[in-house]
Amino acid sequence: MSKSIQWETDFSEALKKAKAEKKPVMLDFFNPG
Amino acid sequence: MDAVTYPDASVIECIKENIIPLRIPSNSEPYATDFNIKWTPTIVFLDEKGKEHHRNVGFLPSDELIPCILLGIAKTFYELDRFPDALDNLEKIISGFTKSGSAPEAVFLRGVCGYKHTHDPKPLKQAYEKLNTDYKESEWAKRALPYRLLP
Repeated sequence: MSKSIQWETDFSEALKKAKAEKKPVMLDFFNPG
Repeated sequence: MDAVTYPDASVIECIKENIIPLRIPSNSEPYATDFNIKWTPTIVFLDEKGKEHHRNVGFLPSDELIPCILLGIAKTFYELDRFPDALDNLEKIISGFTKSGSAPEAVFLRGVCGYKHTHDPKPLKQAYEKLNTDYKESEWAKRALPYRLLP
């Protein structure tokens, strides 16, 4: 099991992956500080 | 979320199995404007075309984030008319996270999903009955009130 979440950082790439894996996307808007 | 919730092994596993995780700074354009981001953390659930189906604003511990993720997935599938997939995720919330903030909405949506999937009104009546029994004070119990009149 992964020890951390493997975050995507590119919006378009995440959508491509969602389509390929037939899964939704969880988009976390975080405070960059 | 970074300090407490995201490192939790059950959260990592839930995300790995069920959803594509994407992180973007809250000041990143055009996304901040497109999604009307005013506070962090904000988590938005999208389909493969980038259309929003659910969101949460504010911190969640792991025992609330997991059902929130499952609800986000369920609402995405529901709005794409993938009713069996939506129902699978709703059942996981209802059976495994009964005390979570997402549970009453999951019960309501299970009723609606069941009705839309089968055209049988029984799931709506069952949703009312469960909400009235287990989540009587929730807003979802009030929203389901008309279903008490169904046969």
